[in-house]
This record gives sequence, C-alpha cells and structure tokens, in this order.
Amino acid sequence: MEQTSTVLETPVSAPTLSFKGKGSELFGIQIVNIALMLVTLGLYYPWAKAKNLQYIYRKTELAGSPFTFHGTGKEMFIGFIKGMGIFIALYGVLIYGSLHIETDPGLYFICLGIFFAGLSALVPLAIHGMMRYRTSRTSWRGIHMGYRGTLGAMYKVFLKNLFFTVITLGFYTPWFTANLRKEIFGHLRFGNARFSYEGEGTELFMINIKGYFLSIFTLGIYSFWWAKDLIKFYIDNILIEQDGKYSRLDSSLTGMQYLKLALGNMFIMVFTLGLGYSWVVTRTLAVLINNCEIIGEFNPDALAQTEEEYKNATFEDMADMMDIGII
Amino acid sequence: MFEGKYYNGRTSKGMPAFIILEPHYIRINWQTDSDNGTEVWHLSEMHKTEFNDATTVLEYGTFPRQSIAVFEQGFQQALEHKYKGATFLKSGYSSFAKTGVKGLLIGGLGLLLVAVALFFWGVPALAEQVAAHFPKEYEHAMGEKLYEQMLEGYTVDSAKTVALQKYLDALEVKSDFPIRATVVENEAVNAFAMPGGFILVHDALLDKMEHHEELAGLLGHEIGHVQMRHSTKAMARSLSHYMLLSVLFGDVSGVAAVIVDNASSMYSLEYSRKAETASDKAGLALLAQNNLNPKGMVWLMERLNSNEPEFLKFISTHPRTADRIDELNMLIEESKYKTAPNPALETAWEELKGE
Ligand SMILES: [Zn+2]
Repeated sequence: MEQTSTVLETPVSAPTLSFKGKGSELFGIQIVNIALMLVTLGLYYPWAKAKNLQYIYRKTELAGSPFTFHGTGKEMFIGFIKGMGIFIALYGVLIYGSLHIETDPGLYFICLGIFFAGLSALVPLAIHGMMRYRTSRTSWRGIHMGYRGTLGAMYKVFLKNLFFTVITLGFYTPWFTANLRKEIFGHLRFGNARFSYEGEGTELFMINIKGYFLSIFTLGIYSFWWAKDLIKFYIDNILIEQDGKYSRLDSSLTGMQYLKLALGNMFIMVFTLGLGYSWVVTRTLAVLINNCEIIGEFNPDALAQTEEEYKNATFEDMADMMDIGII
Repeated sequence: MFEGKYYNGRTSKGMPAFIILEPHYIRINWQTDSDNGTEVWHLSEMHKTEFNDATTVLEYGTFPRQSIAVFEQGFQQALEHKYKGATFLKSGYSSFAKTGVKGLLIGGLGLLLVAVALFFWGVPALAEQVAAHFPKEYEHAMGEKLYEQMLEGYTVDSAKTVALQKYLDALEVKSDFPIRATVVENEAVNAFAMPGGFILVHDALLDKMEHHEELAGLLGHEIGHVQMRHSTKAMARSLSHYMLLSVLFGDVSGVAAVIVDNASSMYSLEYSRKAETASDKAGLALLAQNNLNPKGMVWLMERLNSNEPEFLKFISTHPRTADRIDELNMLIEESKYKTAPNPALETAWEELKGE
C-alpha cells in the first residue's frame, strides 16, 4: 500500500446544513410504502414511516456528512400499537358517553371529562417519549443525540403553562410555546454539545400581533411573512454550547421564499391529486434546511459520544397522530 | 483500494482512511496526525445501507457504530460486484428505484388507479360493512334522531298513527328493533324505513289501499329494510366520504351529527334492486306468518305503479314494478298456504280507513 500524506490532511469542516433529497427518490419510496400499506391494510404504516425518516435523515447533511435515523419499523410498530390502544380506549369512553347523552347526561359529561383529561395528560407524555425516542435514534458520524428531560419536569411545565393559558383565555399561548421549547431544547444533547432555547413569549406574542393585523390589512398576503417570522422565531433562538463556546442557528428564509414554497406546494398537491406529496416534502425541507446555518464557533469535528443505548418507541407515533407540531 | 473517511463512533472527527475490499471482510486503514490503526469489518455485522448518492456511507457493529464515508470512485459498484447478494446491500426500495422513470410512472399510475377505485368503491363498501356492525342501540338512537328531524317537515295525522300502531301491534312481527310507524300528510304515494325501526307512511298511500293485506305487505317490506339494515348501509354509502374525513380528523362523534344533518338524504336514498327484492320477500314472509293473503304484496305494487306517470316508467332507474310483480307472483305460486281471517287486524284497518 502506497501511503501519500497529501490525501491525509484533515481540514476543519464548515458547519453548513443542507438537504439533498429529491422528490422523485422519495416518490419511489412512497410508492413502495403505499403499495405495502394497501396489501397489509395499513399495518405496514410504522415501517413506511421508518423508511421515510431514514431517507430524509440520510439526505440531510451537516458539514457534508449525512444524519442517520436508526429507528426501525418494529420499534415504531410497538409505539403505534400502544398509541392506538390508548386512543381507542379514550374514544371508546367518549362514544360510550355519547350513547347515553339523552338518558344520562351526567354520565356523558363525565365521559367527556375523562376524554379531555386523558388527552391533555397524554400530550406531555407523548412529547417526552417522542423526544427520548427520536433523539436516541438520531446520529451523525456515529455521534448520537440525546434527551435528558424528565417526564415529571415536562408535566410541570406543561400543566403550569396550560393553566395560565386557560385562565387567560388563550392569551398566554405564546409564552406556553416558548416555555415548552425552552424545556425541550434545554435538555437536548448532541454528543457533548448542549442546546438551549432563547426565544421569549413576548417576542412570539409581538410576532403574532403584528402578523395578525398586517395579514388582515393586506388581505392575507402578509400571512406568508408571518409564517416566515414564526419559523425564524423557532430556529434563530436555538443556541448550541460546545466546550464553553456558543453558536446559534440562523435562518435566512425570506417571506418571498416562503410564499413561493407555500403556493408551489399547494399547486403541486392540487394538480397531482396529492400524488406530488413527496415533492412537497422535499421542497419544504430543502427551503428550511438550506436556508439554515450555524453561526459561531461550532466545531463539527469535535463532538464526542456521550449517550448510552436507549430503546423505547412507545410514544413516537402518538405524538405523530396528534400532530402536535412543536419542533 | 478506496479513499474515504473513517469515524470511530466515539468522536465526530473524520479520519482519512484507505478502504480495501477483501473477499469476506472490509479492511480500513486509518491515520491521523498522531495515530493510526486498522479495522476489520465482517460482512455479517455491517448495517443495511440504503439511499446512497455520490457518497456511500457504511455502518458497522453495535452501539456506538463505526462508519465510513466514501465519495464516488466507483465504490458502490465495487461493493455490489464484490459482495453480490450480501444482506447489507439488499433493499427492496433501492431495487424499485432502479426501474427508473418508467417504473415510477407505472407505479404512480397504478397507485392512482387504486386510490380512485378505493375512493369510489372501497370507501363506500367499507362504510357499509361498518354500518352493518353498528351496535343496535346506536343504530336505534341514530334512527330516532333522524326520525325526529324528518318529522319536523311534516304534519302528523295522529288519529291514523294510533290506528296504524294498533294494526302493527296486532301483527306478528319478527324484528331486532321495536317498530314504530307514523302516518303523515303527504300526496306522494310513498313510505320510508329509517334505521332502528322507524317507519313513515304517507297518508296518500293509505288512502289508495283497498285491502288491509296491502298494508301488512307494506309494513313487512319496510320492516325488511330495517331488519336487513338497508337504510343504514345506504346512508353509510352516501355519507362514507364524510365519515372517512371525520374519522381521519379524529372527530368520531361528529359522524352522528353529520348523519342527522343529512336527514334530507333519506328521501334520495336508493336501495339496490337486490335490496328491494329481498324486502319484497320479507313482505311476503310477514303475510305468510300472519296467514294473510300473499296477493297483498301484488296489490301494493299495483298501487305504487299506478302513481308513476307513464313517461317515468321508461326512464326510471328503480327496479321496474312490473318485474317485481312477476317475481312476486312466481314466489306466491311456489309456496301456497291457507289464509285465515284476522279480526284484530281488520278492526284496526277499519279504524284506519274510518273517516
Ligand atoms: Zn323498498
């Protein structure tokens, strides 16, 4: 073997983020997924989802290296079954109550109460479980992400903020969102790098006020800039601390880009009767990720493994089913 | 020999490496400024590699996984050539992707066809199946709401309703549901059966009838619809897409509301020819069970027939009444029985026709 030291130099990689996925490739995967789901009457769903995630992670690159999703269909299937079980039980209670709405209204309201209490108790559980599962199944150059939050703390944050949101008739929602993200990101690890979230409820509140009124005055046109502001609020406030040095995520997304993305996605969905969904996914991810960069002294070559192996798929799909888009 | 980066799973530092594909394993010679080493990867412990592009990524071993990334140089082809059939290279997804544009197009069109078929045929059929397994109490409760909703658009003839119910009580009826019949004022010669045993009879139809056996036949026919859940199934069919949407968006309790909101669709529901024939048979069966003249069903058909304007008879999509009469006559011939007078029914009938 001839050893030339010229190829063996190790330049420091720049921490650029990029998405390399193609709609046509994802479409090829989706076709197989849908066909298998049809054959198995939908039971293949968790495997389909795992495959989708594996593709999307593989095509998302940081410093030229792709992420890896290690989750398997089997793990997600277990989560899916558990999630479905809880949902069916809750809906069973609701339907049972609505059968007796005329004969026994009291029973109906009790059932309704159980249903909503159950649902709101599930949300923190689902977020927590999903964070634990997703992060443990995400790696980059072999370095795993991790989530150190506890279920108790999640419940505390969630219920406290829910309480304020309810008594303020929803006005507290921006603070709820910001505080929840603080709790989540504050416990997020990427090897020995730690995340935190700096966005404040007040800032989100102002974005919403401005977005709401300007959207009305511009007959909805401003809503694309509003959405852009929200995305920037979600991304730009994410801080990364690595070996005592801080970096920040930054999105250069513009309102015009978002407008093109949203309208384009809408046209694709309408004119392909939904078949173009794969392109919608890849376009969206490309716009979001390619516009995102890490500002600061983040060194992608200096991450160290800190996580231990972790297995639990319980809540992954429950969060998915409830579609609580927090991240 | 290929050039690439080696990651040891403990740090994210990419170590320049030479990768050599040996017959039964992969050898990796890596080197950093301060260190160097050799790794041997057995094929059996390599993880499945999919969706590679210009860069091929291979992962190895248990947590934390080691990995290598190789940029082009024909590495992917070399792997496939050298380790043909190895588990870590197998992927149903990749092989489908290799069929290219043609495969994608055919696959996409096939899926579209399946989706269309599912939407127009599968979803209604599934809804029908679901409806057939509704709990009885639920069906009854739903029918009751529908029935109340429908009655709002009518004037009830309460005297005739009492008489009709009396007639019904005197009949021997087999049904999963308690049958409740109501007479309403309407000039159309018609009657409806709603889920859960609710029957609505227009007074014009009663006025036209000359024998009480016709009424028994009508009730038998409508009870047949109820018993065989024809209206529940037909409603599920016509509302299947609403039902699908509300299930998808998690609003199961909304289904009942949608059904009740669409009470008007009861008028336009069409039963299949098969359903009508089956209910006609149920009508005959009821007549036989009560030892009444089976001709009642035929007379009933004639009443319905005479009401139809001549021109409609040709274009009507309903099963033609003449055909139904022929079929009834055939069935009557097949199973003859002795009829007997039924005073209780006749009294109720006279009361009904009284005024
Ligand atoms: Zn009928």
